[in-house]
Amino acid sequence: MKLEVKNITKSFGETNVLKGISFSVESGKALGLLGRNGAGKTTTIRILMDVFHANSGEITLDGKPFDPRKVQIGYLPEERGLYPKRKILEQMVYLAMLRGISRKSAVINARHWLERLEVLPYENKLLETLSKGNQQKVQLASTLVCDPEIVILDEPFSGLDPVNSQILQDVVQELIRDGKIVIFSSHQMSYVEEFCEDIVIINHGEIVLSGHLDTIKRDFGKDQLVLSAVDMPPEDFADLLRTKLADSVHITGQTKEDVIVRLNEGVSRQTLLRELSELSDCTIEHFETYKPSLNDIFVAKAGE
Amino acid sequence: MKRFFTIYGFELKSYINNKSFTITTLLLIVLLCAGTFLPRFIDMSDMLGLDKPTNGSAASDDTSDNSGASSDSSNEADSTIGLVDETGIFKDLSILKQAFSDTEIVTMKSEKELKKAVKSEKISAGFDVKDDLNYEYYVLNRNMYDENQAIFESFLSQVHQQIYCEQNDLDYASFSAGYDAPVNCTERILGKDAGDNYWYCYALVVVIFMMIILYGVMVATSVTVEKSNRSIEVLVTSVDAKYLLFGKVFAGATAAIVQLGSVLLAALAGYSVNHTYWGDKLDMLLKIPGSVLAGFAIFGIGGFLFYAFLYGAMGALVSKTEDINKSAGTLQMLIMIVYFIVMFQLPTPDSTIMKICSFLPFSSYSAMFVRIGMGSVATSEIVISAVILFASTIAAGWLAAKIYRMGTLRYGNPIKLSTALKNLKNN
Repeated sequence: MKLEVKNITKSFGETNVLKGISFSVESGKALGLLGRNGAGKTTTIRILMDVFHANSGEITLDGKPFDPRKVQIGYLPEERGLYPKRKILEQMVYLAMLRGISRKSAVINARHWLERLEVLPYENKLLETLSKGNQQKVQLASTLVCDPEIVILDEPFSGLDPVNSQILQDVVQELIRDGKIVIFSSHQMSYVEEFCEDIVIINHGEIVLSGHLDTIKRDFGKDQLVLSAVDMPPEDFADLLRTKLADSVHITGQTKEDVIVRLNEGVSRQTLLRELSELSDCTIEHFETYKPSLNDIFVAKAGE
Repeated sequence: MKRFFTIYGFELKSYINNKSFTITTLLLIVLLCAGTFLPRFIDMSDMLGLDKPTNGSAASDDTSDNSGASSDSSNEADSTIGLVDETGIFKDLSILKQAFSDTEIVTMKSEKELKKAVKSEKISAGFDVKDDLNYEYYVLNRNMYDENQAIFESFLSQVHQQIYCEQNDLDYASFSAGYDAPVNCTERILGKDAGDNYWYCYALVVVIFMMIILYGVMVATSVTVEKSNRSIEVLVTSVDAKYLLFGKVFAGATAAIVQLGSVLLAALAGYSVNHTYWGDKLDMLLKIPGSVLAGFAIFGIGGFLFYAFLYGAMGALVSKTEDINKSAGTLQMLIMIVYFIVMFQLPTPDSTIMKICSFLPFSSYSAMFVRIGMGSVATSEIVISAVILFASTIAAGWLAAKIYRMGTLRYGNPIKLSTALKNLKNN
């Protein structure tokens, strides 16, 4: 199963919220939609779910027009919401039946997910009587109760404590193993790095980076090195590099202890290493290939 | 369709599980049903104006004739009326005493004395008679149903006739027999007697008005609550918005029909078992012909659904339940206007305004069934009105579903209806 979003645009009044978003995701894989607040992640998801209609563009599933009501989709919206004054099992069964699941299967699925998320003892309680964390778990269980082929989670980790976050991580990994398509948006890069093979970074309604995460990391770190000198603060070391090795490298970043540089065109690592060893006023402590974190990539791309 | 029934069942359950709904319904059924049995166990003959039952037997049907005068006059029993006869025209006060039965007539010497007695409430009213054609009536606070003047004028007119006959050498007895010859009339009503049908039509107009206001707000609330608790996004991405709104409205209609129907049935059945104990006194309210009940059911359900859809749309325009009154204000105003028009036109069910109202979808639910109950209306008119009402109801449902879908993720300030319609047009 392959879900493809092709060049969708959306505007609200005069504001262009999405300016041609495209990506694709296949069964057994997870796609992370990343972006700052207001970048257009939730609007993209809502267009996928047919809450909003796109102004242009196309969404297909295996090449055919995608109708979210004709495929089993588990959708966890950014704005969480269930019925606080209804019993948990009752409303989960209701939501599953709205998705076309029989009552019998709905009850079995609901109990399965409540048990998996460790909230089965509350099945006959009113939702409002549960703690916020348990309400979140019930919300997630309700998302999965229809045994979805596609799971769309909008900021699923928001508001979860570390223990519940771990449970959710395990569940998402199970879904991926079970061959589901998983799309989720998040600000928490560590989770995205953990599950997603593919990412899409949206900024101001446009895709600024997309593709396979490993490839992105490799490309982003290509020709970049992490350097440091003994007993020299990174600021001073960066100044030294700027003045003495400007023809070989340029500074791309700085951490608490290191300086990140990119090799200028035609300069090899061996050349740089030799030039560094020839510097009389410092001793090189650290010389290695730069491996960017997703957070670094996100800040570099979405912070522009 | 299966999903519609899923929604319908879920929404209906929320009404049934609502304790206040169940308790109110059961309480009303028990109270009304028990109320109809009261005359079996409690002597209510005074209140109903019936003969006292003997040996616990039921009041017979023919006891209903002695009602009016005695009960009316009992209110006057302890009142006293003053009379000042300035020209001495009243030779015999026995006729006056007969006219004011159960009322003491006290003669007084002067207007001043009469006024003082009225002011001090020693007497309830007084007449200062100048001559056989002129008098003054004194009363401290005149109540709406004061009939003293009418009775007194009839008596004074009689005195005037006697004086006239004396002055013109006429025999009063033969004059009176010729002048006041009784007129005989046999009433034959070929259509409907508004007098008989008035009270149950009146009651049903009130009932349907209350049901629409009460349940309409409930439907609006059930829509707004889903926006307020944010569950609406999951719902509209799972199922077509039309099913959601139609499920809610039909569940509300079912709850209303069950509640009203069971209460009405309890009252009607209880009365039909006990009507002889009531001396048929409540026939005007509880002996409703089948045709009127059928008209009430058809037009009541149609009107209820029509307004329930509109209430649903109004609920979708706001995201907080406390804002419902803001968005539904205009709709409530319309319902109130229809209610007052029908109420004021109730005595004249075949007036032009009622005829117009009986075809307009927002008023026919009330106006047409009043015409069925009290006026003369052709079957074709009833059918046309019903078709207009139900077609409008479907259109209202379609429009409401569109507004409901459009308002899905619009949180914050209430959306104006005009803005909503403009957005729908643009989409």
